[in-house]
Amino acid sequence: MKKKLYLTYLLFGSVTLSLFAQSPQNYSNSASLAQRIKTLTSKYPNLIKSKTLTQTLGGKDIWMLTLGGQNADQKPAIAVVGGVDGKHLLGVEMAIGFAEKLLASSNVDSVKNLLNKQTFYVFPNMSPDATEQYFAKLKYERSGNATKTDDDRDGKLNEDGFDDLDGNGKITWMRVKDATGKYKLNPDDPRSLVLADASKGENGAYILLQEGIDNDKDGQFNEDGEGGVSFNKNASFNYKNFVPGAGEYAVSEKENRALFDFLFDAFNVYAVVAFGPTNNLSSPVVFNPAGLSKRIITSWFEADAKSNALVSERYNKITKTKEAPKTQAEPGDFSQWAYFHYGRLSFSTPGWWVPKVAPDSAKKEKKFTNDDPVAAYLRWAAKEGISDTYTPWKAVSHPDFGGQTVEVGGVDPFVLNNPPYKLVDNIVAKHTDFLVSLAAMAPQIEFVNLKTEKLTDGLTRVTVQLLNTGDLSTYTKIGDRSYFLKKIAVKVNGKNGQEVVSGRKNQTIESLQGKEFKELTWLIKGNGKVTIHAGCPTTGSKSIEVTL
Amino acid sequence: MRMKKYMLMAAVILCAVTLKAQKPENILAAVGTPPNPKVPISWNRYHDYAAITEICKKLAAAHPNLIKLETIGKSYQGKDLWIMSISDHKVGNADQKPAMYIDGNIHSNEIQGSEFALYTAWYLVEMYAANNQTVQSLLADKTFYIVPTINPDARDSFIHKANTAHSPRTGLIPIDNDRDGVDNEDGFDDLDGDGHITMMRRKNPNGRYKVDPSDSRRMIVVGYDEKGEYEILGSEGIDNDGDGLVNEDGEGAYDPNRDWGWNWQPNYIQGGAYKYPFSIPENRAVVDFVMKHPNIAAAQSYHNNGGMILRGPGAAEDVDTYNAQDVRVYDALGKKGEELLPGYRYLVVYKDLYSVFGGELDWFYGGRGIYTFSNELWTGYAMYNKAGADNTQDQLYTFDKDLLMKDAFVDWKPYKHPQYGDIEIGGFKKTYTRLHPGFLLESDAHRNMAFSVFHAYNTPKLSIDEIEVKEIGSGLKQVTAVVSNLRMIPTHSSQDIKNNIEIPDIVSLTGGTVVAGMVVNNRDLGITTEQKLDPTNIRVENIPGNSYVTVRWLVKGGTKFTVNVNSKKGGLASKSN
Repeated sequence: MKKKLYLTYLLFGSVTLSLFAQSPQNYSNSASLAQRIKTLTSKYPNLIKSKTLTQTLGGKDIWMLTLGGQNADQKPAIAVVGGVDGKHLLGVEMAIGFAEKLLASSNVDSVKNLLNKQTFYVFPNMSPDATEQYFAKLKYERSGNATKTDDDRDGKLNEDGFDDLDGNGKITWMRVKDATGKYKLNPDDPRSLVLADASKGENGAYILLQEGIDNDKDGQFNEDGEGGVSFNKNASFNYKNFVPGAGEYAVSEKENRALFDFLFDAFNVYAVVAFGPTNNLSSPVVFNPAGLSKRIITSWFEADAKSNALVSERYNKITKTKEAPKTQAEPGDFSQWAYFHYGRLSFSTPGWWVPKVAPDSAKKEKKFTNDDPVAAYLRWAAKEGISDTYTPWKAVSHPDFGGQTVEVGGVDPFVLNNPPYKLVDNIVAKHTDFLVSLAAMAPQIEFVNLKTEKLTDGLTRVTVQLLNTGDLSTYTKIGDRSYFLKKIAVKVNGKNGQEVVSGRKNQTIESLQGKEFKELTWLIKGNGKVTIHAGCPTTGSKSIEVTL
Repeated sequence: MRMKKYMLMAAVILCAVTLKAQKPENILAAVGTPPNPKVPISWNRYHDYAAITEICKKLAAAHPNLIKLETIGKSYQGKDLWIMSISDHKVGNADQKPAMYIDGNIHSNEIQGSEFALYTAWYLVEMYAANNQTVQSLLADKTFYIVPTINPDARDSFIHKANTAHSPRTGLIPIDNDRDGVDNEDGFDDLDGDGHITMMRRKNPNGRYKVDPSDSRRMIVVGYDEKGEYEILGSEGIDNDGDGLVNEDGEGAYDPNRDWGWNWQPNYIQGGAYKYPFSIPENRAVVDFVMKHPNIAAAQSYHNNGGMILRGPGAAEDVDTYNAQDVRVYDALGKKGEELLPGYRYLVVYKDLYSVFGGELDWFYGGRGIYTFSNELWTGYAMYNKAGADNTQDQLYTFDKDLLMKDAFVDWKPYKHPQYGDIEIGGFKKTYTRLHPGFLLESDAHRNMAFSVFHAYNTPKLSIDEIEVKEIGSGLKQVTAVVSNLRMIPTHSSQDIKNNIEIPDIVSLTGGTVVAGMVVNNRDLGITTEQKLDPTNIRVENIPGNSYVTVRWLVKGGTKFTVNVNSKKGGLASKSN
């Protein structure tokens, strides 16, 4: 078993170079994403179907890809979601890249079998209005869609966005020398600024803002620009009203509604994998009993947290990623929704983070004294020979700060969360390996230890155990009381003259954890053969024939 | 069957029209009721969706200057959700007047909410037409948005299909209640075919029930030391899907009143919730309408039953949402309601009823800052105009006998059940216990209408009381204006202010050139807060109920000044010196 898995790990890494020589050279905008989808559907018409779930207000398609053989909707499924946050372009690449890599190997037996037994629903980009900003004339990190919002709730829409003061086509940073400022230069790397710690008697020297003008003269900068509601702030779990980017109420946006509508009706989905800001794959969620003691649950159930731990272990082994920064789940985010409100095992990873680099003594670098992602990035970038993602600070004249020194510069947007494109292929390959291995953990039911006892002629006691041979539960503990998760329906199909005299002819049984079984027993009158049938959408169906 | 009913309905409406042939000169008007309405309606029975549509259309046709009939969207099954915008449409723009939103029937079995909403519409326009000055001035100032039913699919299901008094509470999107992979496969069965789902009982010497010796309709539990005669088998039904359970997966079964976007929780926490806030199409139509009508300052959602005037919070977790200032407004309205509605009590949902998430009144208040009540219509008090015995079983039987001529009960009759064998079927009709009997329907509709009129009347009414112009030297004039709110409800509830839900009220000046503008905090002591940005249009956070704000400008030139106030929930007002 171990060996087999190991082979799978290598699979997607090794075929990469030959098959994807002509792969894209940059992150995909919506047009090239559509093109990649078209290529896939025409190349593998029997294994992938694509459709548009909805169109955003910005006129962009929300794509859904169904990877699998015939009757894909009736097989256990994993939902793979990219573009969870619009500033995380990598998530889109990981989702579409997974589809490409898996299908490229669809002639390999293990993958062929997998696609026959299971389904992957891939949603490559849930934030297409926002990701497009990466490719726009003015490049800045954006999470909100094209819904027009009044972020500062002043009655005006989008009246104060960013302004490209230095005219370099991207929104970086703006620092203003000011005694009331809260920031100081980072002593580890003065190209970056960090908060001065007043409790240690430190003085601030700079106001730090993103590049812009107070266009509506309300004293706030860039507080109501283009970019409406974020997919990752609009879900219903721990939703916060009246926060910029959250929308007027939970699940107000077409993107969220279209995806959630689909998912709620997809009873076959047993796990959701999001490529987005939160990370419960590098280190799993921690079970917190206090979080289960209130009506509104805020902790994973213990059984589900154990599944998370098992999957996380697998993830670390396969992707060999390490030193992941701790992430904080945000109000209204997708990945928490998928567990707490959708009731499925929900896994999330950003896929990449700035690697930690030891100080280079040859360059007289010292160990950092501050926890500053920008300084860490600049050190790593130097080592990688990346030099064009930092703009040296340069004075500009600014209408809102007459007489004060205002400089524009700093690190580029996007670079802290999206690696140089040449690293993407390997990230995709490793995460494809991971998804394949996750599918190998799926819940599966088997009838085992069938026993028939003839009590007298024409009366038989039938006993059988229904075993979940998979690693994951048939449905989650949190899903116990939700009618959006189906129980295993067990039916005894008898013929004329056969009658169940004890035990139920039709019944449902609750979730089976991985490797757990349930014993079933009936007294059946009559002779000949009966078939016992068990199944639910997350496991598929099994039957066993019993001779009375 | 259905066809027949529609024909009957048409005949009834026709009949009502012919009755009008009784000449006005033969009639003495009873006070407080439209004496000769253009659209005569009998308010002692219930209307299905077709009849409601008919009434809305007739009212709109008869009163074109008072009613604009539109639809706010469609139900799950595609029925139009009618809304009547009622206002004096010749005076001002109805969508800029302070407004009250009223709906009914969110729970499909709670059908009288629609009759009460319709009665309110009918009463307002017919009294206006009858030249009633109170209603005329009300409709000059205010708008009523009335949606008689926000659950028309399941309303018709309640009316035209066999049901209990409690079913269906849901809409008609299919739900797999028993999670066996099949939707709606085992609902009630109207075994005796009378359109009511009543009870099944079976003779059984080991049963724990017997017939009440003083009333043969009634089953009572025997004492511990007694032998019974009967067992109760539950509501009429069969185990249709052979899983050993009866009636466990009937029509729908979600709760449209757990679907609203304020502290929404999923169904494993809040039973009845569907997929996400406003995942039920009828509610989404309402929220889309409300978001587009920021002039809505008050709301009422009619339910049944128990005689309650309910306000939020719906959930204990939301206690801090309602602060003292807003509670004072609610209390003043609610206490008046208790006077107008004998037997009704003014209560807070989470502590006096039950703690629920995702209710309609919570979204209206929490999400939009609108002062909202849900009235639970019908109370046992009305049976004998006496408190105490509300809704006890005793009273249900005596009232039926004394005043309803036993029309509310289906007598026990034998039936051969495919699974239970020889049983008897009988019990109260679906139209009893939660719904008004005919003769009390109009009276309670009227009282609830009066409460809504009081609620709507108390939405803000703005007036510019005073414009003072003073020369202050350097060629400057100081223009001071006092803007008052003549009603109880502020332009912004404190929930609204806390979260900047609605934009501030804007008091603007025309005439002269504004040099500076400010809100006057204390006119006598000369304490002001300057507004640096756009001083011509002073932004006022709130104009409190029965109170005022003072604003001031320093102006160059001009002698003739006009002050305008524009408030989303408070409407418009204007005055010149």
